[in-house]
Amino acid sequence: MSKKSSSVPEYFHVDFEPIGRRVENNAGKTLLAAAQTAGVQLVSLCGGVGSCNSCRVRLVSGELSTPTREEQDALGADDLAKGYRLACQAIPLTDVKIDIPPESLTAPQRLQIEGQETFIEPDPVVTAFDVQLAPPTLDDLRSDVARIRQVLDDLGIACPVIRLPVLEGLSGRLRAQSWTARLVLRGDEVIAGLPQDSDLLGLAVDVGTTKLAAYLVDLEKGNTLAKTGRMNPQISYGEDVVSRIAYTINNEEGRKLFQAKLVEAINDMLAELHNQTSTSSEQVVEAVVVGNTAMHHLFAGLPVRQLGEAPYVPAVADPMDIPASEIGLALAPGAYVHLPPNIAGYVGADHVAMLLATDVWDSARTVLALDIGTNTEISLATGGRLLSCSCASGPAFEGAHIHDGMRAAPGAIERVQIVDGEVRVHTIGSQPAVGICGSGILDAIAEMVAAGVIDSRGKLQKDNPLVREEDGVVEFLLMPAESAGHERDVIVTQKDVSEVQLAKGAIRAGIEILLEAAGVAHDAIEEFIVAGAFGTYLDIRSAVRVGMFPTLPVDRFRQVGNAAGTGARQMLISAERRQATAEIVRRVEYIELTTHPNFTNEFIKAMSF
Amino acid sequence: MSEDLLARITESIVGGEPESVVALTRKALESGLQPLEIINQGLVAGMNIAGERFTRGEFFLPHLLIAAKGMQGAMELLEPELGARQQVHEAVGTVVIGTVLGDIHEIGKSLVGTMLSANGFKVYDLGVDVPKEDFVARVKETGADLLGLSALLTTTMIGQREVIEAIVQAGIRDQVKVIVGGAPVSQAWADEIGADAYAANAMDAVEVARRVLM
Ligand code: B12
Ligand code: FES
Repeated sequence: MSKKSSSVPEYFHVDFEPIGRRVENNAGKTLLAAAQTAGVQLVSLCGGVGSCNSCRVRLVSGELSTPTREEQDALGADDLAKGYRLACQAIPLTDVKIDIPPESLTAPQRLQIEGQETFIEPDPVVTAFDVQLAPPTLDDLRSDVARIRQVLDDLGIACPVIRLPVLEGLSGRLRAQSWTARLVLRGDEVIAGLPQDSDLLGLAVDVGTTKLAAYLVDLEKGNTLAKTGRMNPQISYGEDVVSRIAYTINNEEGRKLFQAKLVEAINDMLAELHNQTSTSSEQVVEAVVVGNTAMHHLFAGLPVRQLGEAPYVPAVADPMDIPASEIGLALAPGAYVHLPPNIAGYVGADHVAMLLATDVWDSARTVLALDIGTNTEISLATGGRLLSCSCASGPAFEGAHIHDGMRAAPGAIERVQIVDGEVRVHTIGSQPAVGICGSGILDAIAEMVAAGVIDSRGKLQKDNPLVREEDGVVEFLLMPAESAGHERDVIVTQKDVSEVQLAKGAIRAGIEILLEAAGVAHDAIEEFIVAGAFGTYLDIRSAVRVGMFPTLPVDRFRQVGNAAGTGARQMLISAERRQATAEIVRRVEYIELTTHPNFTNEFIKAMSF
Repeated sequence: MSEDLLARITESIVGGEPESVVALTRKALESGLQPLEIINQGLVAGMNIAGERFTRGEFFLPHLLIAAKGMQGAMELLEPELGARQQVHEAVGTVVIGTVLGDIHEIGKSLVGTMLSANGFKVYDLGVDVPKEDFVARVKETGADLLGLSALLTTTMIGQREVIEAIVQAGIRDQVKVIVGGAPVSQAWADEIGADAYAANAMDAVEVARRVLM
């Protein structure tokens, strides 16, 4: 025990294994809270309310609070007896040692940074001028700024604005550079005074609910110099946006905390990008950040409560330019961060960026484009119209609410085949299987349907040799314990099938409603674009087989990777592309599914196989 | 002949053919069958079979939803007839049900409502995004024995507590039992906010409704 036993101790030590992280945890705080303070990325899909069973850990030594009702429900007597607990429920009563099973750890994971490169003529919102200033002398006592004004005036730029963060460094700079400089202007504002001939750089960031992707771009040449990714650090506070919104409602400091965590992670990525390219933060004179509406708001420090309650409206939908220095982003001191417009509460700037990058918005053809996440945004371009909707597909494809679900990390089953009654799987990194990720569960269900293991309504067929019944629970054995990476079988339960039905049903229903609203038949879809992390790795054939996507020739589908990131890069290097987003937002007809009379019908229909 | 029609209605409910349920119901009305007969011997019989199969693990959510859709469609035809003939459903209890303010999720709540009415409850479904004042007013007005509150969002669960507080304030807490449900809701949450019961799905909801009214 950490304190003399005369009084109640203030904290206990929590030792997280196998990663070997040890923290002091205030008495009365849960193991999940301990993990969060320690920066241990424990999965907590439900945001810590004890309903998702994703934060399972095992007590190795020490004493924890008695299991809560949630723990008894989620874990069952067997697992409890083995020492398994829910980190979000269990509170240390002594110093404890905790074992984190691989499936409960979020990192490391496959990050989503690959996107297509498209060539865009660079025309950035910033311009640079290499200048030579007259040094001050005893006869010329004008201020430094007056000198800058003078040279700019000669270049035809009158009355430039220079804000304080820029001024702070400028005088020293000019002297160190012998009165030469590369003045960077954004409109009539001087935002940096770099050494002459410096490359102008920009930063594009895609803030996903789960993952972050960052790109360092040469603003004048238009090419991407380096890219990197991270998990969204907010993840340990709740998996989906609504859980995070709930966190900010229940914890006053939550909004600040989420913003700080994001900024810290982006700065961290920036440092890595600079390292890779031997560049410096001074050179990064512009940034574009895209994300769904909730991430956008949390990044900008805006209130999100109204996004969590009907009618789910954004605080701001217009594009914004915020000074990087105001939110602590480590860019050039005068740099701005551009946040493109949002379409609706659940169709954000990331979708706008995706529509931009894929040219869906001004396509003369009939194109359907979607980005599958816990929230799936879908757009349909046809006959000059652009229709969009958002459907709540839920986190099943991120591995949540799936019995052996996990995110796309090493050891996750990502491909499944059933050949002549024999199950074959492939895992990420070819490691022993510890669970199933989104593309794996999709494949599994598709193969099970094809092999007659489940019927058209989703019922597991008990008489099938691959299906077993244990204590009244019907399940499909994907990988027996002997071959798996831990002591448990990897299985697909009846409930897993239902979860996938809800998710794919919601997505398909959204697609159908858009097609119906535009009066377009399935086979009129000339191109079907699938973006996003899960969309990159899923097997299109499986998606069609389970009925998540309509039946179309395979060559009409295009998997484009992180198109939101690509769109952000385009907006970084081209003012014209940036302007196009206004046009996109103006043209979008947003179809609200929540009140759509046909949603329920389509949803029920689409749940079958 | 009329027995035959009723049996076919039952079959169509169980078999998941909502369109034929409605068509057969219309036919049954035209052939002079009483709305109450159609409800009890046709629709409810079907829903009960579907419900039992669900409980036994033979039916799944899509089955139940499709069956409920048939029942809901038929009820739309029958309700006005019932009213016109001033016939009242002999009810085992009266339920006011709805999804709380800020939440638009309807499907689960409606399924619960349908199963309750198939099991002899008189159900007043207030729809979705329902303010607490409306719950209070309707409970008073209908003299309901049971109040069902649905919430599907982590952010709107709190609305269930607010409704319970409102009925306490209105002084009618001991006249009505409150059951709560929805994906993020749990027994522990029900306990915490002082609800009388929690149910995880529509069939459990029927069980629980019967139990709390005993
Ligand atoms: C269908 C659906 C929708 C439909 C709703 C259509 C409608 N008219 O109802 C649409 C697409 C419109 C929708 C919208 C939204 N949704 Co939605 N939706 C779902 C989905 C896929 C299925 C819900 C459902 O109908 N299930 C089937 C029914 C039968 O089950 P059920 O509702 O759980 O009900 C059963 C039990 O809970 C219980 N029960 C329910 N109520 C009651 C009441 C009582 C009294 C009792 C006793 C029992 C009981 O019995 C029911 C029957 O067995 C879920 C995901 C999921 N896997 O659950 C997300 C989900 C609920 N939605 C979610 C969200 C966030 C939204 C949005 C707010 C944002 C969005 N787009 O993602 C929006 C609204 C904003 C907008 N403008 O788009 C989230 C909630 C996350 C959270 N942490 O809270 C979920 C979990 C998906 C996710 N993770 O992203 N959604
Ligand atoms: S059960 Fe602990 S985070 Fe969900």
